[in-house]
Amino acid sequence: MDYKLVPSVCPYCGTGCGILYKVLNDRITGVLPLKSHPVNEGKLCIKGWNAHAYVHHPLRLKAPLLKTEGRFHKVSWDRAIRTTADRLGDIREKHGPDAIGVLVSAKITNEENFLAQKFARTALGTNNIDHCARL
Amino acid sequence: MTNSIAEMEESACLFVIGSNTTECHPLIATRVLRAREKGAALVVADPRRIHLGLYADVAVQHRLGTDIALLNGMMYHILVNNWHDAAYIRARTEGFQEFSESVLAYTPERVEALTGVPAGAVEEMARLYAKSKPASILYAMGITQHTTGVDNVKAVCNLALLCGNVGVRGGGVNPLRGQNNVQGACDMGGLPNVLPGYQPVTDAEVRGRFAEAWGVPIPPQPGLTITEMAQAMMDGKLKALYVIGENPRLSDPDWNHLRHAMKRLEFLVVQDIFLSETAQVADVVLAAASCAEKDGTFTNSERRCLRIRQAVEPVGESLPDWRIFCLLSQAMGVPMDYNGPHEIMDEIASLAPKLYGGIRYDRLGIDGIQWPCPAPDHPGTPFLHKDRFSRGLGKFHAVEHRDPAELPSAETPFQLTTGRMFAHYHTGTMTRISQRLDAEQREGYVEIHPEDARELGIREGELVRVSSRRGEMEAPARLTRRVRRGTIFVPIHFGESPANILTSAEAFDPLAKIPEFKVSAVAVSKALQ
Amino acid sequence: MRKTVQQWLEEGIVDLFLGYRAVEGHPIPWVFRKDALHELEAFREGPYRYPLEKLAVEILREDPRVRLGLLARSCTERAVTVLQALHALDRERLILLQEPCCPSPLHRGVVCSSLAGPENGSQKRRDGIPRGRPLEELETWEADERFSRWMHELEKCLKCYGCRDVCPVCFCDQCTLQDPELFETGSLPAEAPHFHLVRAVHMAGRCVDCGLCEEACPVDIPLRTLYRKVGALVRDLYGYVPGHEPVPLLWGPLGDGELERLVAGERSREMVWEAVRRCSG
Ligand code: SF4
Ligand code: SF4
Ligand code: SF4
Ligand code: SF4
Repeated sequence: MDYKLVPSVCPYCGTGCGILYKVLNDRITGVLPLKSHPVNEGKLCIKGWNAHAYVHHPLRLKAPLLKTEGRFHKVSWDRAIRTTADRLGDIREKHGPDAIGVLVSAKITNEENFLAQKFARTALGTNNIDHCARL
Repeated sequence: MTNSIAEMEESACLFVIGSNTTECHPLIATRVLRAREKGAALVVADPRRIHLGLYADVAVQHRLGTDIALLNGMMYHILVNNWHDAAYIRARTEGFQEFSESVLAYTPERVEALTGVPAGAVEEMARLYAKSKPASILYAMGITQHTTGVDNVKAVCNLALLCGNVGVRGGGVNPLRGQNNVQGACDMGGLPNVLPGYQPVTDAEVRGRFAEAWGVPIPPQPGLTITEMAQAMMDGKLKALYVIGENPRLSDPDWNHLRHAMKRLEFLVVQDIFLSETAQVADVVLAAASCAEKDGTFTNSERRCLRIRQAVEPVGESLPDWRIFCLLSQAMGVPMDYNGPHEIMDEIASLAPKLYGGIRYDRLGIDGIQWPCPAPDHPGTPFLHKDRFSRGLGKFHAVEHRDPAELPSAETPFQLTTGRMFAHYHTGTMTRISQRLDAEQREGYVEIHPEDARELGIREGELVRVSSRRGEMEAPARLTRRVRRGTIFVPIHFGESPANILTSAEAFDPLAKIPEFKVSAVAVSKALQ
Repeated sequence: MRKTVQQWLEEGIVDLFLGYRAVEGHPIPWVFRKDALHELEAFREGPYRYPLEKLAVEILREDPRVRLGLLARSCTERAVTVLQALHALDRERLILLQEPCCPSPLHRGVVCSSLAGPENGSQKRRDGIPRGRPLEELETWEADERFSRWMHELEKCLKCYGCRDVCPVCFCDQCTLQDPELFETGSLPAEAPHFHLVRAVHMAGRCVDCGLCEEACPVDIPLRTLYRKVGALVRDLYGYVPGHEPVPLLWGPLGDGELERLVAGERSREMVWEAVRRCSG
């Protein structure tokens, strides 16, 4: 049996409370507040206490999907990436890089946001990149 | 935030405006209440009667969209009573003359007429804020989501400068970020006009450095904002959209507008952990790992860069977002490869050295580090502008009250405001599937004043129809005196009663491009069964 | 202590040991095992407390054979006794490594987070219930004043349910506090004082006065004081102190019928008030 507590950060509001995921055999069973954390000092709000609930939800996407004739099909990563790269490449070819926009997210990490804008500005060649902080 | 969360406990006065703190940033409310119990003054201004108001010395409900009038009104009293910090203003600011002239036009009578707040209360707010030092201002989307959002923020800053509260421990101007990594997304250049570290794309020197590091030239003209992208889709200019971890179909201001706009796209790719409303209309959906399934960092509202750690394996074949970007970039012929997020952070540190230069995984620990952290031996920065502002002197900006883009009319006599409730988050995709959070609130609702409800023949729990020029929605009524008469409130989390079908995509702040979520004009009636 | 843990693991007295380990300077509950004895180097004792017994219940339930060692302060021991009385854990498979604790004339120099905590500020002393005060002191206030002071505290409640979620002896699948028939859901603050009194009533005969709830409360409500009151009542009425012996309290401060009705959801405000009136003497 494998049981561990993994320190992390609440995925919800911008307060950034320290949490511990309770992990039993590769499943998160709950959350505890990180007692010695400088932000929340061992306390959480209702969202923080339930910060794990969505992780193992049956509706999570488990594979890339491709829509053909109005219906989604599971496809391999290879196929999904190739299709996406081809379609984006075609559109850039035909209409220029600024015909593509990228919306990044306040839910992904710094490193991922960094790569997302790097991708937009290098691979696509556009500054059309924004996120929902305005909203 | 200019200052830190824990510092709030040391404030002598907390002024909370446009932030329903106990519901939206509960662990910041912790500090506010602690400061209060230690004897600090608490001043609360919100168009709704919010929970925190119970503990305030003064709590006012100003009319929607009158924040500038209220703030200028406070500053009027501060100036005429000589409560401002003249020495600080002389040493550290500029533009005071012009600003003070503009503020003196906000006489108590005028402010009372505009805001609906009694003149005596405005004076008391001013007195408490100006006479208790250090004083901290907290605000959230109630200030920014307006056509006058940028001016609202300027008015807040004016107030802080006027009383010498910027650059001091326990003071400051503290915007509370609604989502956990809004700060980081901005820091990382997830914006059309700046590269990581807020370095303008229009600056050739900056572009040069990035181009050298990345081996590809950087496009020189700023790109489109999200609101402009929607328009460009409508106009057929934007053909493809790549949406990452977002559900703009529910968070965008004008649902109908966006739905039509998205239909005109040639190609939509969505990367998310669920098949959200937006993902459902995509051509390709890329399955991302959740933040419990990967390593990385988030930067919270107080600029604290914090590590998140992988707790479990990604579900199914889902991949961490950073891996997906690498795959896509390679497929498009631009090499991108890292051994892990720590290597990406090293690159961030080298390209945004002023803010992240000293941030390395091996020194973040659990406590994290607050930027600016320019060097590996720099301890981080708990509060900003200690001895000088980034631009040198702090600048006063004369700002004037302007009416919201939409005022009530005969057809749409009510004012609608939108926001969050305590048990859910953003578009609800992550929280509504939690049994315990769902138990707290299962469906959307419309908060309406009991008197208004009585006049319209609406009883508690009955379906209400709300319509604006853009669309209509229905949800059960919740009768409460939390809202003023003539105002209704709709939470944003519930897709089946989408608040954003009512709000306007056309009304947004001309500079910040933030949509006016906080005020629209609507009609309210009992729904026909 | 570290030596003992190592010995227990090596000799197979226990299969796993639940204690604390320093992770980047922070003490975090940790399961030590025989095949990773080196982790014991960072074995850590200190003031921080987590509901270890709650984690222990999870572990024992997952593997019906495992024998678990548990680092146990006095409060942990009391909670384990209550859990045993309520048949929530298999006491046979749990071996406690006692850490003498809970300050008393016999135990000095105790390190415990419950001894620290935020200061009682001037306004809290004026309008609220300062934390850590003996019950007798609170009882010197008139009923009206006591009520308004408690309301000052309880109306801060953010409904985080942390007091319940952290509590070692709170583990119902369907928690009454989230029963929409009984409580208004969807708005703040929680319905004070009913919300808190219902929980207080549930703590009668269970609460072991560990104080974890109070430490978890984001708005510094002196919950421990509230539950101590209930505890004192149970002690005076029935001579029962939770955690002393592994037998449950079969009666509550509510009569059986009342309790049944309460559990069945037929609550009336008056009933709760009645209980409260009795609780507050
Ligand atoms: S626990 Fe609550 S306050 Fe803390 S980060 Fe999460 S949502 Fe925000
Ligand atoms: S508060 Fe009561 S119902 Fe809820 S978990 Fe605790 S004992 Fe059970
Ligand atoms: S003190 Fe609080 S956490 Fe501890 S047993 Fe009692 S109610 Fe539960
Ligand atoms: S821990 Fe405090 S705030 Fe949270 S539900 Fe309990 S009493 Fe309310």
